[in-house]
Amino acid sequence: MAKSTRRTQLDNAVLTPLDWFEERTGLVGGVKYLLFRNVPRDTNWMQTLGAATLTAFLVQATTGVFLAMYYKPDPNSAYESIQNITNHVTLGWLVRGMHKWGASLFIILMFLHMARTFLFGAYKYPRELNWIIGVLLLVTGMAEGFTGYLLPWDQTAYWATVVGININATAPIAGPFIAQFLQGGSQIGPDVLAKFYSLHMLVIPGAIMAMIVLHMYLVIRLGVTSPPWSPVAAGRKRDVEAPAGFGEYREGLIREHAEEREHAGEEA
Amino acid sequence: MNETQDDTTQTAGHSLWPIGFSIGIAVLLVGLVVSWPAMIVGAALAIVFGLLWVRDASRTHAPVDSAPAHELVGDTPSPARAAAEEEHLETYGRSGFLTLATLGLGGVIGAAVVLPSLGFAVLPSFTGDGVETPSVDLGPITNFPEGTFVITTFIGNPKQGDVSKRTAYIRNNGVARVNGKAEPSFTIIYSRCVHLGCPVQPNGPTFPDKAVTYKDVSLTPVQPAGFGCPCHGGAYDTEGNRTAGPPVRSLDRYAFSIVNGNLVLGRHFSVGNVEGTGADAKISRYRVAYPGVHVDGVERWLYPIPVPGS
Amino acid sequence: MAGKLEQEKRAEFKRYKADVKKEGKPFFPYAVFHDTIMSLVVVGVIIGLAVIWKNTDILGPLYQAKADPGTTNFVPRPDWFFYFLFYLLRVFKWPETVVLGTVGVPTLCIVLLIGLPFFDRRPERTVLRRPVAMVAAILVVISMGVLTWKGATAKEALGSETVSLVPTWAAKQGFAGDPVAVAGATLFAQSGCLNCHSYLGTGSHNLGAPDLSAEGSKGRGIAWQIAHLTNPSSKTPGSPMPSFAALGVENLTKIATFLEASKGPKS
Repeated sequence: MAKSTRRTQLDNAVLTPLDWFEERTGLVGGVKYLLFRNVPRDTNWMQTLGAATLTAFLVQATTGVFLAMYYKPDPNSAYESIQNITNHVTLGWLVRGMHKWGASLFIILMFLHMARTFLFGAYKYPRELNWIIGVLLLVTGMAEGFTGYLLPWDQTAYWATVVGININATAPIAGPFIAQFLQGGSQIGPDVLAKFYSLHMLVIPGAIMAMIVLHMYLVIRLGVTSPPWSPVAAGRKRDVEAPAGFGEYREGLIREHAEEREHAGEEA
Repeated sequence: MNETQDDTTQTAGHSLWPIGFSIGIAVLLVGLVVSWPAMIVGAALAIVFGLLWVRDASRTHAPVDSAPAHELVGDTPSPARAAAEEEHLETYGRSGFLTLATLGLGGVIGAAVVLPSLGFAVLPSFTGDGVETPSVDLGPITNFPEGTFVITTFIGNPKQGDVSKRTAYIRNNGVARVNGKAEPSFTIIYSRCVHLGCPVQPNGPTFPDKAVTYKDVSLTPVQPAGFGCPCHGGAYDTEGNRTAGPPVRSLDRYAFSIVNGNLVLGRHFSVGNVEGTGADAKISRYRVAYPGVHVDGVERWLYPIPVPGS
Repeated sequence: MAGKLEQEKRAEFKRYKADVKKEGKPFFPYAVFHDTIMSLVVVGVIIGLAVIWKNTDILGPLYQAKADPGTTNFVPRPDWFFYFLFYLLRVFKWPETVVLGTVGVPTLCIVLLIGLPFFDRRPERTVLRRPVAMVAAILVVISMGVLTWKGATAKEALGSETVSLVPTWAAKQGFAGDPVAVAGATLFAQSGCLNCHSYLGTGSHNLGAPDLSAEGSKGRGIAWQIAHLTNPSSKTPGSPMPSFAALGVENLTKIATFLEASKGPKS
């Protein structure tokens, strides 16, 4: 079917810049693969949890950047700067609220995503490394929550941090030094807020982002698993006899399906 | 590989220099924590053995490429060079030297950038930076009635401001006979739980109408039967000894002195156990330890290294 | 190391890739569409929570008190997603075991999590054919849920909170007209008694401490109560209750009066 002139014009409008870009960077091909690669046709809604977690993280990163423009990491002005953000800065209350509740949602989604991965057995060959990176992301994510909790410098923040640092201090041998490093001294001193701010804004998000990149690279390279209960799971064994009633399932779903129906029909 | 080893004094296989180097690094790290003369010895060992190792490695180092360098570069060797290679003598090759030099210099640059930053971040924990215990003037002794506790909230270090606000439960025990001399005796208990640092509460009635202030110290009388921690269920008696829950030792205390009739707070120390009460109490003192850290008993061996500044 | 199991796994992955290539559907727009909807839900929930937080009280106050390092009446709690660890610390309440609760158990759990792909090398992914994995997972979920719930509801019955209950107690027990008993009730609430004892539905049941709502109907008398408060193990041998002599005889008399007036709820 020949394309209409209109269609050709539209196509060129999109393809010409893309070709310009591709010739100079070679990246367009990669992006095309990313977007149009195949995934198993029976993917489940549960498998959107990973993307949901990523979204929650991006929300945190974005709201965090805007909060950082007004927050003051000094014990004498931190609390007041948050009052300022909530009461005076335009939509500051929304950004602060989103950041606070986004943190909880991020943690919840990580746990749900982990549970889904476990249920699907998606930690098995060849995705073991991806699981390990995921566990590290969970731990780092919770550390991010811990460092961020101190920043409002209110009572719950201060005392939860005292206890958290002292928990580290109970680790054998190295514990007291870890605590001393975190506190900037033998007690929480005036530097601890800036230290936690640096960890919360730079060190831990840097680690999280690096691990997310690795995690996603592996997902793209190794593919996502089909749900284990799916009769048309990608990678299923082929020499198993079709179960009874299989003929009625999702008529016309796959080419071989017709052969198996014949096969079953012959045996019946 | 076309390198020979028969014109060096090196025995084939592994040399001892790396071992010496590692020992030097290990002694350096231990000295960092324990004592600085050990640090110097460790550094010296590491440098000496490191240089010997590098010298050995570069001496027996073959050109990185397995073919003679001149073949890869497309040169024709000079007659002297060709002769040397005929006799299988060491021909060092420019690429080999450049590789070593790049790696070496890169390592130096990396170390020059990373080590000071790492030191900046981590060393204060080991050298005790930022740990100060200045004395705090709590006001006239008359503000501390004999026999009852006073919740005393003070600023520990004026330079740090509110961050150093602390609370102690102080009881004037009257007079104690120490070595035949009569001296005032105070029980000064730090308010932070020795399980994980939560603020311990007095179990008893407070008398806010009898509260007084001295400069920025606030003093509120209280009559506790003991102290309780709101976090994980720790409980203490009026001497600070643990009566229930997870606290690993008795509550920390402060030393004190009397200067011109005023009570002055001294060093903060940890307590293993208190026997007796009030003026006659026998307190087993230890260096300040973090909450959750045992100061006596078998578990003491989990925390063998004292923290600087305590 | 191409054992039979390894070969099987590799063959399965090969089949997987072939199946996806042949039968799969393109990531864009199919999977991306689902992901986008879910992401929209996530963002919507976050914004919704922020709006509710600002405009109502359901989600708690917008501010707490500013940090006071010298406080004596604050009850510290961590962020909700650490409640399970928080409660673990309350479970390990013997001093010798503190390091297990703080460092030991959490580290062990992380090691087990990271090592999961190495403990479980079977290629089986069907849910019903992985009984050990499923049972372990259910147990983990239940225990984390229980620990989180108990962490959320854990309370110490410390004086700053329970004093407000005294008028209710006076009304229920009928000693509102007796000022000594009321004073005793206030002291009872302030002195940490409810950390171990329970009374009219408040307090705990630590260390085997009995409920005291009907203490006065046991016919022990004020003298017995004072002697017990001064030296508990003299009246109940082996009792872990500490002495409350430090309150002074006057206060102990008030508490004893209150206890003897507690005959059990009137209705």
